[in-house]
Amino acid sequence: MSQLYNIIEPNVISEEMVQKAVEEQSQDEAQQLAKREGINFKDVTELQLSFRNILQIDNLWQFENLTKLQLDNNIIEKIEALESLVHLLWLDLSFNNIEVIEGLDTLVKLQDLSLYNNRISKIEHMDALQDLQIFSIGKNNLAILEDVIYLRRFKNLRTLNLAGNPLCDNEQYAPFTVAHLPELVYLDFKLVSDTMREAAILKYQYSTEPLKQVEAQALAQLEEKQAKQNELEYHKTAFVEYLNGSFLFESMYGEDAEAAKLAYLPGVDDLLQAYRKEFVSVCENLFNYGLKQHEKREAEVSDFYESLHEALTANQEQGRKIILEFENRNKRTLDEIQNVSSYDIAESKLAEYNEDILQLSETLMTLEMQTADQLEELIKDFERNIAVLVSTFIENVQGMMAQCRDLENRHHEKLLEISINTLEKSIKNELDKDLPDDVRMLFVDETTVVNAVNASHDMHLLKIDSREGDILSNARRWQASVTEKALQNEIDRNRNRVKEIIQYIDHLQEELENTETPEPPE
Amino acid sequence: MEVLKENEEEEQREEEELKALKISDKQHDVERKLSVDQACTPNDVPDFDWSSIDTSQLPSSYKTNSPKEKKLLCIADNFLQQYAHLCPDREPLLLHPINECGVEKFVSTTVRPTLLPYTELFHWEGCASFVSDYLTMEPLKSPIAPPSSLYSPTTILKYQRGNCFDFSVLLCSMLIGAGYDAYCVNGYATHNLCTMDETLEVCPLLRKPQKETEKPKRDPLHGLRVHAWVLVLSGKREVPETFFINPFTGNSHSTTDEQFLGIESVWNHRNYWVNMQDCWNGCKDLIFDLGDSIRWEFMLLETDKPHLLFLDVKEEEELFDRDMDNAEKEEDRRFDMPPSWVAPIQISPREFETRTPQGRKVILYKKAKLEKWAPYLNRNGLVQRLTVYADSHYTKVVEVREWFKNREDKLEMREVNKQTQLTTEHFHPGHLLGLKAHIYTSMEPETERTMEFYNEARVDGLQKRVENANEMTEYFVGRDDFLYFRHVEFGKRVKKIHIAGTRTDINPRPIVQIKECFHRNVEKPADEDVAERVFLTTEERINLTYHLNDKYITASKKNFLKGAESDRKGNEIIMTPEMCTTYQAGSSETDKKQLHLYKLLQKLTEEEKQLKHEVWESAAEVLEILKTREDEAADIKLTVSIYDKERNEERRQEYEAMDNLMEDDLLGQEGQDLDYLAPFLIQTGNIEKMSKGQALCIKDNCLTDFKHRLTHKANIIQAHLQKEVEELQKKDQWYQENQNELSTEDEADFLAYCSETMFRIRVLALRLKREKQMAPQKYLALEEKLRKDPRLNMYLSHP
Repeated sequence: MSQLYNIIEPNVISEEMVQKAVEEQSQDEAQQLAKREGINFKDVTELQLSFRNILQIDNLWQFENLTKLQLDNNIIEKIEALESLVHLLWLDLSFNNIEVIEGLDTLVKLQDLSLYNNRISKIEHMDALQDLQIFSIGKNNLAILEDVIYLRRFKNLRTLNLAGNPLCDNEQYAPFTVAHLPELVYLDFKLVSDTMREAAILKYQYSTEPLKQVEAQALAQLEEKQAKQNELEYHKTAFVEYLNGSFLFESMYGEDAEAAKLAYLPGVDDLLQAYRKEFVSVCENLFNYGLKQHEKREAEVSDFYESLHEALTANQEQGRKIILEFENRNKRTLDEIQNVSSYDIAESKLAEYNEDILQLSETLMTLEMQTADQLEELIKDFERNIAVLVSTFIENVQGMMAQCRDLENRHHEKLLEISINTLEKSIKNELDKDLPDDVRMLFVDETTVVNAVNASHDMHLLKIDSREGDILSNARRWQASVTEKALQNEIDRNRNRVKEIIQYIDHLQEELENTETPEPPE
Repeated sequence: MEVLKENEEEEQREEEELKALKISDKQHDVERKLSVDQACTPNDVPDFDWSSIDTSQLPSSYKTNSPKEKKLLCIADNFLQQYAHLCPDREPLLLHPINECGVEKFVSTTVRPTLLPYTELFHWEGCASFVSDYLTMEPLKSPIAPPSSLYSPTTILKYQRGNCFDFSVLLCSMLIGAGYDAYCVNGYATHNLCTMDETLEVCPLLRKPQKETEKPKRDPLHGLRVHAWVLVLSGKREVPETFFINPFTGNSHSTTDEQFLGIESVWNHRNYWVNMQDCWNGCKDLIFDLGDSIRWEFMLLETDKPHLLFLDVKEEEELFDRDMDNAEKEEDRRFDMPPSWVAPIQISPREFETRTPQGRKVILYKKAKLEKWAPYLNRNGLVQRLTVYADSHYTKVVEVREWFKNREDKLEMREVNKQTQLTTEHFHPGHLLGLKAHIYTSMEPETERTMEFYNEARVDGLQKRVENANEMTEYFVGRDDFLYFRHVEFGKRVKKIHIAGTRTDINPRPIVQIKECFHRNVEKPADEDVAERVFLTTEERINLTYHLNDKYITASKKNFLKGAESDRKGNEIIMTPEMCTTYQAGSSETDKKQLHLYKLLQKLTEEEKQLKHEVWESAAEVLEILKTREDEAADIKLTVSIYDKERNEERRQEYEAMDNLMEDDLLGQEGQDLDYLAPFLIQTGNIEKMSKGQALCIKDNCLTDFKHRLTHKANIIQAHLQKEVEELQKKDQWYQENQNELSTEDEADFLAYCSETMFRIRVLALRLKREKQMAPQKYLALEEKLRKDPRLNMYLSHP
């Protein structure tokens, strides 16, 4: 081996090497063509770099669309620089000197991975490869049989090769593996028979059962989390997230130190409870109203896109029909022109055809203009409707927020009253003995008490204002974006269509020009 | 109904009325004679002399009446007398016509409910069409009176002919046997129905939505023509609505059909009902609730028919009671219909299959003639032929349709349009190359024809191939490559070395153009998914048109011109930009590399080659099919089911051989079982040489052994018996002791146990007794057998 290294220098994948490898993949005439034209690395889908004594992987970032990469029989020590090959389905790293599985996190489409004959001692860092179907990791240094359990996460894994690892010496290796990977069809190049699978599953029933339970639990938790997340997302699109309950109320009191102190005063607790109840009910009204309005907006948007789609389909049909008619009419015209013997006739036919092309262009453009007008109207209507919806929504939200403020004001007044009473008591030294010291501190004089109560009140109002502000700005932002998107789509569509028509007409005219007509008479 | 008071008075009156009836009968006869001459239409059925039939072989029930039948006839006569008395203006009832042996039989007993072992006959449609096919129709002797005789269904089946009554009785027997609530009807119908004249009807095979009805000629005997048909009541066998079956045609009719003009009476195998409803408006308003004794007068009181009005029933019962002899009153009320005198109806598989008399039947419809044959009767498998004529006189043939069965070439039907000579053949699945239909005017190749195929059965999914002299169009279904249409244009054949006698496939027509269309393959982007490709082989051009992209109105195109490549020396083909014009919808072209185009062109060139080959193969396939069809038409073979023992000679022999083998086996087993001697012979050793003493010894040994066995057997039974008795006694003792403490459940258990044990004891006692009786006989039988046994015989008889 070492002698071999002396003769051939270890390589790093270089631009030059890649270029050559790509060119070599085409054959004969195609190779000539490829050489002459050069190949865009983005177009290459398969690349073979075997037996090149490569030590380090590099310079592969341009092959974005690669689906098959062979790097086998090199001296690679580290899996790296493969991050951009996200379309890879097939990766062969067999017969290298890799020690750790790593650097595969972006290859989410990978189906077939071969790490045969390396120096790997642990199966790890493969969580991203959810599509994995074939995995070959034979002839490595895997020693712990329980590592196989890691492979349970690959639901599509059907073929596995572990042969030649130390763990295979364990006589329980085969039944253990099959029991823990019951979906496996081939293990170590052999078909897993049904009888063997059944026996293995029975044997390891008690060790796989808890595993299954844990997995099921994790899955359920994940699903639950997902569902909650989805729900929250939905609420966010309706701009009323965290309004179904006491979240806002809690946040009002969350950072309010004064309120906590004031809560010790007699009667405040009841007052607070009542206040909280009313406040939460207003919030919930707001929440429900928000969801309803959201549905209305969605319906409006989908209505719009439906009618837009209808109009566009009708327009497309019409355009296609016009073009089809034109093509059928002129199917053999060019041939005729070519085969006509007399120059005059050819010339007149040519002119006629040219005229027809211009006519076609005219018709298509007119049609497009009509469509653009029609769509503009549609979009204007849409904009108007959305504006109305949003402004109603805003008005109502403001109304309900005002209710919140009213509640807060009333609560504030009552609290102030209680505070003043307490202060009077304090002056008369009738204060409850149980009150903590920092609360007693408030009742030094009137200003301190009133300041504390006011500070709490201001803070609450601030929270309410900011929540209101959030809702309003989100709604306005949505309005702007949705109308903007509709408008932009239409502009893009219009441009594309005009471009298409012009291109098509150009193409026709070019064809016409390239037609060989008989020579004009001398 | 009037109530009659005294019997004497009644008898007097009856006599008078009978006289009157006779007089009127005479008048009727005159009338009838006249009308018979009028009504008898010339019939192509050769006359058949019923008097010449052989009745000597018939069973005795055909020739005599049992006492019960005699009594029934008395009751019927009585009923008839009352009926005639009460309804003097109505026609006499058909109650007990004579049968083929000249014996009077009540009509209900002529119905013989039978279920025949053919699945087709489990349904009324099968039965009706069988009866209409199997029998030849004979007109009634007098078209306005019911027949004087009614033969048994067996005789009718034997001679395969009969009038409407015979048809109805047979059909009714089969339907009741199949579980239907069916009745024979004696009534009146139109001329067309009675004479089985369907020439005004459009053939059911040609029936179209719009029906132009031709008014029939005015019939002088309208409303008087007697007809018999079958009534099927709703209820049984999931029949949703009551309907009629015309036994001549086997067609069903609504009870409101205008062709049925009235009903006199109905009967089944149990009873006889007279219609008391007015038939001025045909059968439209009739209500078929036979339990309603106001509308339907029954002859025998039945218990299983629900009666609607119990009060009326009572009244009638009383009425009848009074009319009848007092002594017989009780019995008469419960008189059950005697069993049918007719022998079981039997139809052999061959008769069932042959169906029509002489295996052929012809029905004339309006401007159409329908002929039917039994399967295997015609050598070419023809079972039905419909000839459509342009005129009502059946002279100018427009179209002929023929149906075949059991043909090895799977031909199902052939339709020939005599005006255009266009022939359409339909095939069952299973013909060579999945052929389904073949439409042609000439069998000459490269002429206009259409072949349809069972595309499911073909690898290439070909559904249809339309051809003419210089075009071929193929339609495909369900292909993986999404191809659904291929059109080929052929050029003129180069007429060079055309050696006489060579077939056309040796010199195929040159291909000018191949056009293929594909469905959208959603897995590819639209502008890489070819929608249409045209190979202009003579111009060396290939035009590709892609599917339309979602938002675009123009389809991408690629036009290749291969001409340039031949200019280059040798086989070096290099792509030049001039060779391909591209139009890419929605993008400024030329971003495709030449390499890509080159690969595409290479692929297309390869595919073109392949395609040409496929086209030639298609053409060859057409020739092959034509040749096969010619061969098949020249030598028609019929297939025979392996279950058909009658026809499948080979199979039958096989079956019989197997049968014999099984019988042999059985015999052999029996023989072995009965060889009592064998063990004793073996004991003796040398069988060949035995002294008489030895032989006698063997015989004695054998007999003693047998005796022992018999005693042993008896002992065993005895022991069992004793044990059972003892146990019963024990149990009984226990019961006696604990009687007072037992619960009712225990007591019931005990009683059950007792009765069970008693039963066992009885059986054992019986067996013991029989064993004792049989033992001496068995012993003697064995002795006799041993005496005759050849192995001992020779030593015993010859000292």
